[in-house]
Amino acid sequence: MQKFFSNKKLIILMLIIIVTFGLLAVSVNIKDKKSTPPVVQQVGNDTVSIVGGIFAYPTNAVKNATSEFSDLYNTYTENRRLKAKIGDLAQNQARLKVVQEENKKLKEELKLNATLTDYSSVNASVLSRSPSSWQNYLTINRGQTSGLKKNMPVMSGKGLIGRIVEVDKISSKVELISTNNELNDKFAAEIQSTNKNITGVISKYDSDSGDLVMENVTSTKDIKKGQKVITSGLGGVTPRGLYIGKVSSVKKDNYGMTNSVYIVPAAEMRNFTVVTVIKSSVSGEE
Amino acid sequence: MNVKTRKITGQVILALLAFYLDGLMKWSFLNNMNTGDIIIVPQLMLMVMVMLSMRISTRRQLILYGVIFGLIYDSYYFGLIGLYTILLPLAMVGVDHYKFLFVKANMGYEISIYFLALTFVQSGVYILERLLQQINVNAMDFITFTLGPTLLWNMIVFFILYIPLANLSDWLVKYRRDSK
Repeated sequence: MQKFFSNKKLIILMLIIIVTFGLLAVSVNIKDKKSTPPVVQQVGNDTVSIVGGIFAYPTNAVKNATSEFSDLYNTYTENRRLKAKIGDLAQNQARLKVVQEENKKLKEELKLNATLTDYSSVNASVLSRSPSSWQNYLTINRGQTSGLKKNMPVMSGKGLIGRIVEVDKISSKVELISTNNELNDKFAAEIQSTNKNITGVISKYDSDSGDLVMENVTSTKDIKKGQKVITSGLGGVTPRGLYIGKVSSVKKDNYGMTNSVYIVPAAEMRNFTVVTVIKSSVSGEE
Repeated sequence: MNVKTRKITGQVILALLAFYLDGLMKWSFLNNMNTGDIIIVPQLMLMVMVMLSMRISTRRQLILYGVIFGLIYDSYYFGLIGLYTILLPLAMVGVDHYKFLFVKANMGYEISIYFLALTFVQSGVYILERLLQQINVNAMDFITFTLGPTLLWNMIVFFILYIPLANLSDWLVKYRRDSK
């Protein structure tokens, strides 16, 4: 016995292995099961994020400036294209207002307080992105005190970019929709086609083309290129009607068994510094 | 405040600066969210840690730095504790252990040590995350699309930053000479 424990290096190696797997197993379990990390970790992350804000604001300012410069470059062609759309938009806005009021009255009639389409939102600015190969996390400067909870969807400007995976007191982590992770939660989505809406699940990300892949589609008959894809609100975590992107193609998988719909994401994933967190009014079952 | 405390504060501030720069660099211009398979991971903090381990002779201080900064790194960026917390001090102790082989620290030695440390840490993170089923990337894809570009990018950055960084860390570590 004495001889066995006399080798100091072996014992150190053994301890390192035990500590590594112990720490990792505990933190993976906490991440999967609890809605928030332990208080010590929350306070630590918040402290780091406050100091990080000092570095993030100038970076975001530069980022905004460069994106404004490239915007300026495209202004002329964009302006012509947008002018054509503007008449349409005004008409749609007027119609939307009427429909919203009508909807509100009808809901009151039916005594519906909140439906899948109701939500409120919180704006947050991005502090940093994880320098990691697979954890596609953004750190944002809002947390529990602003009413954020785990699994809330996050949008940036035009479309959906991901969902919250960890909430601290005044900061939180957002996992991007482009994460190719089998274990992460999927988004229930639907394609708005002419006849009926086709539902499915956005489950993968194709890194070659930068497209999102929608699987478990009910039928592919009516799917055409350019149709809009929104969240379906099924599952209860994500409200209905958040814009995800447009259909680019329908492909069969390698075995020819199932159909996958490829979607070009609407959110421009490069140049944004502010994100919007969507708080659903209807909460799903835990 | 005596010179030693001041120098240690300087070392901590340098490491923290590198820590924040890692996240900001990834966010501001290595932000390939929409397209591309290639993933580049900036590892400036590891760079600073390797430079410091080449110069600091007390192993206890190195392990302390490694554990503390590794813990912050894991908690803030990964949300998983146990990756950098273990790998960073191990890499630093490894550098400390074999640095007697080098008579005089020059750029060639330090760049190759950083190369080895980076390979060790990145592969360690990959293996641990793979074991815990956090990712489903196969080893070939990891080497081609992640490890290779990451090594290349960080080598270039190390090459550019070597002279200021080496002088700065020399100055931050040698406090005995100043106090006398």
